[in-house]
Amino acid sequence: MRTFLYFLLFMVLAVVVTILAAILGAEGAWYFAWLIGTAMLVLISAAGGALLDAQEASAAAGRGPS
Amino acid sequence: MINGTVVDLSRVQFAATALYHFLFVPLTLGLSFLLAAMETVYVTTGKPIYKQMAQFWGKLFMINFALGVATGLTMEFQFGTNWSFYSGFVGDIFGAPLAIEGLMAFFMESTFVGLMVFGWERLSKGQHLAVTWLVAFGSNLSALWILVANGFMQDPVGATFDPVTMRMQLTSFQKLIFSPDVQSKFVHTSIAGYVTAAVFVTGVSAFYLLRERHVPLAKRSLRMAALFGVLATIGVITLGDALGFVAARVQPTKLAAMEGLWKAQSAPMPFNLIAFPSQSAQKNYGMVQVPDLLSLLVTHSLDGTVLGIDALERQAQRRIERGIPAVQALRVLARDPTNAAALARFAAHRRDLGYGFLLQRYAPNVSQATPAQVRAAARGAIPPVAAVFWSFRVMVGLGLLMLAFFVLAALYSLRNTVQSKRWFLKAAVWMIPVPFLANECGWLVAELGRQPWTVFDVLPTWMSASRHSVAYMVFSLIGFFGLYSIFIVIELYLLVRAIRLGPAEPGGHGMLAGPTVPAAAYGAKAQG
Repeated sequence: MRTFLYFLLFMVLAVVVTILAAILGAEGAWYFAWLIGTAMLVLISAAGGALLDAQEASAAAGRGPS
Repeated sequence: MINGTVVDLSRVQFAATALYHFLFVPLTLGLSFLLAAMETVYVTTGKPIYKQMAQFWGKLFMINFALGVATGLTMEFQFGTNWSFYSGFVGDIFGAPLAIEGLMAFFMESTFVGLMVFGWERLSKGQHLAVTWLVAFGSNLSALWILVANGFMQDPVGATFDPVTMRMQLTSFQKLIFSPDVQSKFVHTSIAGYVTAAVFVTGVSAFYLLRERHVPLAKRSLRMAALFGVLATIGVITLGDALGFVAARVQPTKLAAMEGLWKAQSAPMPFNLIAFPSQSAQKNYGMVQVPDLLSLLVTHSLDGTVLGIDALERQAQRRIERGIPAVQALRVLARDPTNAAALARFAAHRRDLGYGFLLQRYAPNVSQATPAQVRAAARGAIPPVAAVFWSFRVMVGLGLLMLAFFVLAALYSLRNTVQSKRWFLKAAVWMIPVPFLANECGWLVAELGRQPWTVFDVLPTWMSASRHSVAYMVFSLIGFFGLYSIFIVIELYLLVRAIRLGPAEPGGHGMLAGPTVPAAAYGAKAQG
């Protein structure tokens, strides 16, 4: 049941995003690009922090150069 | 006729207010999303260092946010106090985005900022993260509405002038918010804020690494800011190109001024890398050109051309001549709004009404305008070329410098060798003012390039101002300069103080917690 609710939530999100892309795309897609781009920037930045943790842990364990 | 000195002083006052305000805003826009990134890592990994990072950078965000709000408030009041004709003329269109901006800033953004600051001990991790994301979106969405209002001034779509009410009326809210100028300008400005914050975080982190203080926090902050910054800088450049592409179509005079293009040239057009434009001689001195580049940049084609200032002046002259009957018809309609002949005459020339207004500065009675006055008005339709030309080049040059800086920062950080590159760390500290300067130059390109209009092609600047006395304007201008300079000093003092003190101990009490105090210091106090 919980999996189904998550599925529904993400389906609704996907439909909303698709409709937004269609509407905004007709007028010029920069707002949509900003939404997607900002989320991507934040996530890549966050991943960079997590990667540094992994690099340091690896270096401390003596498995890698850094 | 409004005193020309009053108009100039009103312009200086607004420019000063906006330029001061724009020192604070970009950092708020970008730092909010970097906080969201740091807190996202904290919530997903559970490592306290990321909470410490979010709280430390959050404290700096708060200092900047408070002063940004204080400087922004007065700017909005200036529309009414110093630009009353403008406010009446376009208030129906301009008022709506400003009101929404107020709602966004003071209801959504400020509410969630309060929760973000005081909610560390009161909200769950997930709830606090959601609040931080909402602060970031709230900050940027309030900027969106200001830029919708500004976009209308640059490319007035979705509105029409009503000769009966004698003011502009909104015809399409959708066209207003989805205009290509607004869209590209919002994203360009918002991402310029990301770059500003990334340079700021990288610079302050480099300062800590140089002094070997708070090293784990500084290394992680620098890594996250470098990746955030490198991608954001690519975005800013992309959107800058999009804005130039839009300007070629909707604001050809701004584009010609940006490129110092006095005369039209055949395709492929060369790009003036360096030049010293002279407005009076209408030519450039000391030019260094890059062949074919201008056609590629502004038309995305080697066959494309754009109009030079000579052609734009001839175009303006024709529009001024066509605008004279519109102004004459408007005078009749001011006395008798039902006059069918005047309404028909106005309808035939309404597109060029703004150019008729432009002529009034040189010939108060447009019916008796001489050819020399029409030529002078046409020449006056061109913005100040040298200022726009150089502001644009400084902005672009600094943008490219920041791209190179972030590529290097990302490279060193990903190799985990940044700590040993002392020359780079020193350069990173010196880079902190660079994005602020680039932002100010960008504002100058956008707003000086719009001259001589407040609403492009519709309402000239000279008739938009309020009828104040020169003494009143000088007095208020000095007041603004003084007050805002104090704000800058306070901001710098508080930021430098917070940076020198450093982050709070992990597990401290939110953003308002004090700095780290080494355990040895407690021991020394106890013994002493």
